[in-house]
Amino acid sequence: MNALQAFDLPTSRDENWKYANLKPLAKVRFEAAAQAADIALDALPAPIDGYARYVFVDGHLASALSSTATPSGVTVEFPKLSASQSIVPAAKSRDLRFAALNESHATQGVRIATAAGAERTGCIELVFVATADAQTASSYPHIEVATGERGRLILIERHVSLGSDNNFIDSAVRMEIASGARVEHYRLQEAGPKSTWIDTLSAHVARDAAYQIYLLNLGALSARSTMSIELAGERAELALHCASLADRQQVHDAFAQVEHAAPATHSRQTFRGIAAGRARAAFNSKVVVRDRARGADSYQSLRGLLAGPDAEIDVRPQLEIHTDEVRCAHGATAGKLDDAMLFYLLSRGLEPQTAQRLLKWAFLEDVVAKIAVPQLRAQIEQGLAGQFL
Amino acid sequence: MLKIDNLQVSVGDKKVLNGVTLEVSAGEVHAIMGPNGSGKSTLAHVLAGRPGYTVTAGTVLYEGHDLLALPPEARARAGVFLGFQYPVEIPGVNNVYLLKAAVNAARKQRGLPEVDAFDFLGLVREKMQLMQMDDSFLSRGVNEGFSGGEKKRNEILQMLVLEPRLALLDETDSGLDIDAMKVVAQGVNSLRSPERALVLVTHYQRLLDYIVPDRVHVLARGRIVRSGDRTLALELEKRGYDWVTGQAA
Repeated sequence: MNALQAFDLPTSRDENWKYANLKPLAKVRFEAAAQAADIALDALPAPIDGYARYVFVDGHLASALSSTATPSGVTVEFPKLSASQSIVPAAKSRDLRFAALNESHATQGVRIATAAGAERTGCIELVFVATADAQTASSYPHIEVATGERGRLILIERHVSLGSDNNFIDSAVRMEIASGARVEHYRLQEAGPKSTWIDTLSAHVARDAAYQIYLLNLGALSARSTMSIELAGERAELALHCASLADRQQVHDAFAQVEHAAPATHSRQTFRGIAAGRARAAFNSKVVVRDRARGADSYQSLRGLLAGPDAEIDVRPQLEIHTDEVRCAHGATAGKLDDAMLFYLLSRGLEPQTAQRLLKWAFLEDVVAKIAVPQLRAQIEQGLAGQFL
Repeated sequence: MLKIDNLQVSVGDKKVLNGVTLEVSAGEVHAIMGPNGSGKSTLAHVLAGRPGYTVTAGTVLYEGHDLLALPPEARARAGVFLGFQYPVEIPGVNNVYLLKAAVNAARKQRGLPEVDAFDFLGLVREKMQLMQMDDSFLSRGVNEGFSGGEKKRNEILQMLVLEPRLALLDETDSGLDIDAMKVVAQGVNSLRSPERALVLVTHYQRLLDYIVPDRVHVLARGRIVRSGDRTLALELEKRGYDWVTGQAA
């Protein structure tokens, strides 16, 4: 029995998966790569100053490419994961099945714990490199984070391809944010142009804690992110910002479920997606406000930009509210470039192509400009400029 | 410099301009006045090349060339500038970036190298001082979060930096208090020169106290119904548009 059946993975017939492209799964060999391929340091993205970097190649820690010193206030472990871990798929919600697949196949994970207290911010960069062709083997990045109370962490998580551009990457992130802690989490998907990247993130945010996610979908043929965040304690906060730039046949699909489970919890979601060529960019987000979550405040701003007649944008904010006294608002638009903006730029002498590129850039800046790590933002902007200019 | 002959323009099925004829020479300032809906803004936008208008008859020559045959960006690079009545906000595109891109687009056209970034910033700062704009402008998005008055000042700032040969200012005075209007007028006046022409589209005479026009035209129901010198504007102020249009404005 293959993994598709064994794990009863979702298909495009599942409501929350209808925008994802799961067709490439049919040709995947789900076995984890047996060993890490040798890769050169200069093939990796430039490191970020002040961040401890850990590089994984096809799911194996590449010590030679990784920092040796752990930043103070943080412990980082690399548990060997047993492929025989017992998994009961039915115990997981269907949306989280790919995490179950990850748990059963991942060979080595990374476990990050921050100390309690706000004295120091742990700065960690994780680079996951996929090299194995999907018909040979797969990559299972596996991240577990637990902060101490009032702990501070900035985590950069990058997914790139080298060697082969047809990878299967199934990554899973588990985030436990203790009370009063703050986590900034930058997630860059830059997988190869024929790759499939399936990502599952679950987070639990305790009282007075704040979690910020920045997801940038730039690469892959098919990318799907499933994020499930529980605002479990009073005044817990989430900011989820996602930008997607899809061209040619790319499909970028993200699904977020945000649960307000405690009073005065707060969530903000921003999506800016551009689809060109025959690409599709989708972001669906469901906000659930439980009956005990009085005073919850949620806002979803989901906007897509169609940059070609055959492109597709799907944005869908959903709300499920079980109590009164909440503030929940959303805005969702999908459209072409704004004619008034375009004419304004042309009237100043800019070439139509330049004006269009500038407006696309500006559209994504709603998310990109929020990236608070200047070096990372510069790298991303440089990458975007390469795609636009 | 600008020669408009029998210009007729429709928007959809609606005829907005019914044969406008107007000649503006270098060094002149013309004011186009008229009641709401008379076609003033349409005229300015058609000259700048805004899509959505259909020219059904007439010609427009700019420095001897068929202006209507050019796309908007080529008109801009040839020295035509439109100051918008409602400048659009473009978050994410930096003010200075746009200014520089605009200047470089025009320079490229003339075979000149790109401006030096440092010198350019100096020039922008100098013009900003004239327009009484503070430094925060440099880091903000185009018109992003600007008040009505700030947007108008920004239009004039762009004009000062781009140094157009023909400036069309569409209701640049609307929404300005008297102090802001003086600043805007000062900016506009600083650009007056024998090589340039200015066309001011305005509803009120007030702006013309500060930017004194050589000619004043009244546009009504899509055509120029009367032309004169600046005393025409003063007369209009006293007697209202009914006096020339012959119907309720």
